[in-house]
Amino acid sequence: MNIPAKSTSPVAIGLRDLHKRFGPLEVLKGISLDASEGEVISILGSSGSGKSTLLRCINMLEVPDSGTIAVAGETIRLRTASSGKSRPADQRQVDRIRSELGMVFQSFNLWSHKTVLENVIEAPIHVLKRPRSEAIEEAEALLGKVGIADKRNHYPAHLSGGQQQRAAIARALAMRPKAMLFDEPTSALDPELVGEVLRVMRGLAEEGRTMLVVTHEMGFARDVSSRVIFLHKGAIEEEGAPHEVFTNSKSERFRQFISK
Amino acid sequence: MDIAFASETLMSLLSALPLTLELAVTAIALGSVVALALALARLSGILVLDWFARAYVFVFRGTPLLVQIFLIYYGLSQFAAVRHSIFWPILREPYWCAVLALMLNTAAYASEIIRGGLLSVPHGQVEAARACGMPRFMIFRRIVMPLAIRQALPGYGNEMISMVKATSLASIITLMEITGVAARIISESYRVIEVFVVAGAIYLAINFLLTRLIAFIEYRLTPHQRQPLAIHGELKGEAH
Repeated sequence: MNIPAKSTSPVAIGLRDLHKRFGPLEVLKGISLDASEGEVISILGSSGSGKSTLLRCINMLEVPDSGTIAVAGETIRLRTASSGKSRPADQRQVDRIRSELGMVFQSFNLWSHKTVLENVIEAPIHVLKRPRSEAIEEAEALLGKVGIADKRNHYPAHLSGGQQQRAAIARALAMRPKAMLFDEPTSALDPELVGEVLRVMRGLAEEGRTMLVVTHEMGFARDVSSRVIFLHKGAIEEEGAPHEVFTNSKSERFRQFISK
Repeated sequence: MDIAFASETLMSLLSALPLTLELAVTAIALGSVVALALALARLSGILVLDWFARAYVFVFRGTPLLVQIFLIYYGLSQFAAVRHSIFWPILREPYWCAVLALMLNTAAYASEIIRGGLLSVPHGQVEAARACGMPRFMIFRRIVMPLAIRQALPGYGNEMISMVKATSLASIITLMEITGVAARIISESYRVIEVFVVAGAIYLAINFLLTRLIAFIEYRLTPHQRQPLAIHGELKGEAH
């Protein structure tokens, strides 16, 4: 089911016919998707539907077997290795595009030997080669924005899950990304900590940031996202504006999924 | 026990301390480079390198260090090719033969310690670095190695202590380090107890300082494994 592009804003992330298989299992069966600038897309689906793999293909943490990925109009070049597997043709291009995408993981993945502030300034200084003082200034502002300015000299192990995830969001924002990728950002959190992370994400959405969010948070998908995509067995089963798909979806599977 | 003789012995043995330390430090430093290369070879996924590293560790860990010292010092000179090679000025020196044997031996053990450290690095943290656009070598330098060192340090401390003690074997190939000097004093004085008690005490003192040094480095590198700063700060404030 395809919705004609309504907005005229440029495409931030464009995916064409992505296929990915792990051994005998075909995880993505030809997925196409355009995320316009400023769009917030919630990607839903039961476990094993391929939603995390789809997100991880965008910054090449998984390399798709076929299909194309374009970020801000630039297509990531792939080649076929001697093993027959698909590989990035130019690792430097991949590294550069990765630096333009902010990724937030389910398990936070903060660097445990660095303080919160060090986590946030690491890539801006070493990847983007920004001056240290400037990076620190910006990092402190970002930590204030996600509400953990007072934790900047703490190590990740000394923070709650919600604080760690907000630090990880600040780390992603510090790269001044063109788009943000969230891979189940609240799934590893205790229920009482989910809210603080969702509030930060809602704030980012209201700023007009481009966000792709793999999530199980139906409230977020319904209230915050501009579009909802429902994956089933590696294909897009349902897609549309949240108020449309949540009220009258034609897909029996999606209706079952949201009624759970 | 003759105190006057013991203190005289202590002075003689301390004059040999620099050589013992030099052997240990050189062997550990050079050995760590070889060890890192071996560990990376094991983890490279390249079959030839992997098997070379496995075979190396198998041989050098599975044979006595003394045998290795003998083979390098007495064995290599049997070959005319070695005697005529550019390495001969080094290989005919007992000092360098001892360093070479100690280094090759410690590299085998240390490579397994480092490999364990590298394997302990959580994959998610590497993935986060990749997602930021860090190139491979930067990830290794900034994320993987710092985490691996923290994990490997206690094990590596053991290996360093072993190496300090292993330098005593160099006395067998004429080097006058602490044990070599001790053996000479005994052959002149026949007072085994005094001399070896003093020699043993010197090794004990070296390893005491080494243990403290490693513990200090470990403490400095692992604030993230201790109590949070706030509590830490309060305790500090009370103490001062």
